[in-house]
Amino acid sequence: MKKLLTLLVAAAMLATLFAGSALAEKTDLVIAVDADIDTLHPMDYSTTIELNVLNQLYDTLMYMNPDGTEEPEPRIAESYAISEDGLDYTFVIRDDVTFHDGTPVTVDDVVFSLNLYKESEYQGSQISMMTGCEAVDEHTVVCHLDAPYAPFLLGLCQPHIASKAYYEADPDAFVTSPVGSGPYKFVSRATGSNVVLEANEDYYRGAPAIKSLTFNVIPDTATMAIALQTGEVNFAEVDSSALLQLEANPAITVVEVPSSGFAYVCMNLEKAPFDDVRVRQAVNYAINRENLVAVCYDGRAEINSNICSKERFGYSDAQYQYTYDPEKAAALLAEAGIETPFNIGEILVAEKNSNLATVIQNDLRAVGLDCTIAVKEFNSYIGELVSGNYSISALTMTLDGDTQSLEMAFMSDYIGMANNARYSDPDMDALFNQARGETDNAARAAIFNQIFTKAQDEAIYAVLCNPLLLYAYNSTLNCPEFDLEGNYFVYDFAWQE
Amino acid sequence: MTRYVVKRLLYMIPVLLGVAFLVFTILSLTPGDPGSIILGITAKPEDIAALNAQFGYDKPFLVRFVNYIGDILLHFDLGTSYATRQPVIDSILARFPNTLVLAVLSMCLSSILGISMGIFSAVRQYSVMDHVVVVVALVFASMPGFWLGLMLLILFSLRLGWLPSFGATSFRHFILPTITVAMPSAAGLLRLTRSTMLETIRKEYIRTARAKGASNRRVIWKHALRNALLPVVTTLGTGFGASLGGAIIAETVFAMPGMGTLMTTAIRQKDVPTVMSATLFLAVLFSLIILLVDILYAFIDPRIKSKYRNGGGGRE
Repeated sequence: MKKLLTLLVAAAMLATLFAGSALAEKTDLVIAVDADIDTLHPMDYSTTIELNVLNQLYDTLMYMNPDGTEEPEPRIAESYAISEDGLDYTFVIRDDVTFHDGTPVTVDDVVFSLNLYKESEYQGSQISMMTGCEAVDEHTVVCHLDAPYAPFLLGLCQPHIASKAYYEADPDAFVTSPVGSGPYKFVSRATGSNVVLEANEDYYRGAPAIKSLTFNVIPDTATMAIALQTGEVNFAEVDSSALLQLEANPAITVVEVPSSGFAYVCMNLEKAPFDDVRVRQAVNYAINRENLVAVCYDGRAEINSNICSKERFGYSDAQYQYTYDPEKAAALLAEAGIETPFNIGEILVAEKNSNLATVIQNDLRAVGLDCTIAVKEFNSYIGELVSGNYSISALTMTLDGDTQSLEMAFMSDYIGMANNARYSDPDMDALFNQARGETDNAARAAIFNQIFTKAQDEAIYAVLCNPLLLYAYNSTLNCPEFDLEGNYFVYDFAWQE
Repeated sequence: MTRYVVKRLLYMIPVLLGVAFLVFTILSLTPGDPGSIILGITAKPEDIAALNAQFGYDKPFLVRFVNYIGDILLHFDLGTSYATRQPVIDSILARFPNTLVLAVLSMCLSSILGISMGIFSAVRQYSVMDHVVVVVALVFASMPGFWLGLMLLILFSLRLGWLPSFGATSFRHFILPTITVAMPSAAGLLRLTRSTMLETIRKEYIRTARAKGASNRRVIWKHALRNALLPVVTTLGTGFGASLGGAIIAETVFAMPGMGTLMTTAIRQKDVPTVMSATLFLAVLFSLIILLVDILYAFIDPRIKSKYRNGGGGRE
C-alpha cells in the first residue's frame, strides 16, 4: 500500500515535471480571486469579483472608461447619438455579433437586457431614470429620459447584453450556465472553488490570445502569493501585506492601479462638537496622512484629503488640500472654544478598520482630542453608522462610476444611506441637481469644482487617501495599462512569444 | 442493543429541532438583514426591501422558522441560499466531500500517530525517547494551525515544488491540509493516551496480570490498552465531529472549499438558509458519530455492553 502510494506520488510529480518543461505555446491563464463567485447572473451580481468574471463572458453596448470621461469605444453598438435636448439616446447595433449558442444578437436582446438591468435591485440605480427603451428598426435602439441626465451614457454602457430567447427558454440555465456574446464562453463552475471559461473563437473582434481561462477562489492572501510564485496562478489582485515577497521575485510583476475608493474619517454633523466647522477642520489638520498611509496601507495609497480622487472628472488642484498641521488644528480648536484635553467619546469602527482608528486616535490625542476606540462586527457597525448612532468613525467607501455618484455622500436624500456625515445643505443639493442635468463638460466641471471646493471649505469629511489596487502577475504575461478602478478584460492579455 | 440504538435515534429528533430553533433565534438576533448586507450602504431602501421580500425575510421570525422547518419535513427542501439564489443543498454537496475526506484522513493520521506514540511513551516512561516525544507533542499542540499550514506551503509548494498550494481536486491536494489538521490533534491524543496508559499500568489488575506471569506484550496490549482506550475513543469521536464542522483554518489556507468556510461566509452574509441547513446537516452527522462512539464502547468494554443489553442508559 505504502509502496503504491509512493509510486503514485512520484508519477504525479513526474507528470507535472514534464508538463512544466514542455515548451509548447502557453495559452491558458489562471486568475485567483479572494472571495467566492456567488452568481453568474449578468445583472443580479453584487461584487467586483463577479463583475470581473461577467466582463469576460458578456459584452456591453459600448465600452467607456469607468469615469465616463472619454469617448466610448464601440462594442455591440457601432455608434450612438444623443438628441439635441439630451432626452433620446440612439444606438446602432452591429449585425455580425452572435451569442455563444450561435444565435445573433438582435435589438430585442438589447431592449430586454437594458430593461432587466433597470429592474434589477442589484444595479438598477445606474439607469433607473430611463423612462422607456424600444427597438425602432432591426438595427436601432432608442432609450428615453424625462430630463437630461449627464452620466446616462455611462450608465447605458454598464448592462451586459444577454439573450432574451435563452432567458425565456430556461431562467435557471440563464444563471447557472450563462450564454453571452463576449470573448469567453462558459465551460464549468465548481461552487466555492472555480469558474472555467474558454475562448470564443468566433468573437467579432477576433479570437482572444488566451484560450483557456480559470478563476480560482483563494481566500488567503499568503496562499495566493505562494500560488503566484509557483506559477499555479498567473494573475491576481493582491493585498499589500503580500507585496514584500512578490516584489522580491523577478518572475512576478506588480502594478499599482488607482481607484476612486477612499478611506475617510466621518463625523456626525448632528452631534457636538462636530457641528462646528472649525472642529472638523481641526480633525483634518490633526491627522498625519503620510504616516497613516505608511502604517495602514504599507505606503500603497495616494494621499488625498479630497473626496474626489485625482484621476476623476471634476478634480482640480485648486480645490483645497488639508495637510498635517497640528498647530493649526490646536488653534482652530481654541477658536471653537474647546478646552483641551477634550473627550470626544468613542471612534466607532468595523473590525477591519481598527488599524485606521488606532492611528487617528493617536493623532487626535496629540492636538488634545481624547477618544476611545469601539470596534463592532461589520453588519452591526453599518447599522449604527447609517442610523447616525455614532459621533466619529473611520471607514473606506467606493462611490464609483461618474463623479455624480459622489452625491450620495453629500445630498440630503442620502441621509440614512451613504451620507454618513448627515450633511444637509440646500445649496449643495442644488449644485448636484445642476450637475446632473448639465451636458456640457466644461460647465459640468465648473459645477463639480464648486461642489468640492465647498466640501473642502466646510470640511464635511476628513478624507485620508485613495488606496491603490495592486495586481500581481507572471512577468511573461502582457497586460495593457489598467484604467481607474482596475476592471480588466482578459481579451487584452497575451503571453509573451 | 437494537432497542438502544432506535431509542437514541428517536432522541435525535428533539435534539435537532432544538438546535434548529436555537441557531435560527441567534441568527435573527444578529444585526443586519440580508438585503442590506448584499446590496451595501449605497443601495436604496426600496431595493433592499424588495430583495428582503423576495427572500421572504420580511415575514416575522416565527413564520419564517415554521416555513423553513415545514419545507424540510414536507418537501425535503433545504431552501434557497440568499447569496447564490440556488438550492442550498448544491452548496453543501459541493463542499461536504472535501470536508469528509479531510476529516477522515486527518483522523486516521492523528490516531495512528497519537495513539502509537502515546503507548510507546507510556511504556518507556522517563526514558530519553519519552521526553523527546512529549516535547515534540507539546510543540505541535501549541502551534497555531494557520502557521503550520503556511510553513508547510512554503516548504513543499514554494521551495520544493512537490505539492500544489491550493485546491481539492486530487489526493495530492489533501496531503498538506491533512498534516495541518492532524498534527495538533495527534499531539493531544498522544498526551491523553500516554496519561491514561500510565494510570492504567499502575492499576492492581495489571500487577495481577504480571504476577500471574503474562508477558509484557500481553499485559500492555490485552490488559492495559483496552482499559486505557475508552477516554481516547471519546476524544476521537468528538474530535471527528468537530473536524466535520470544518477545519476552517486548513480550508482557508489551502483554498479548499469545505463546510467550515461555507458556514463562516454564510453567517457573515446572514444567509439564513445556508447557515441553518449546514448546521442541521452537521448536527445529524455529529449525533450519529456520538452514537457510533457509544456503540464502539460496547466492543471495547464488555461491562458497557451488558449495560446496553439491560436497556440501561448510555455512557457515563
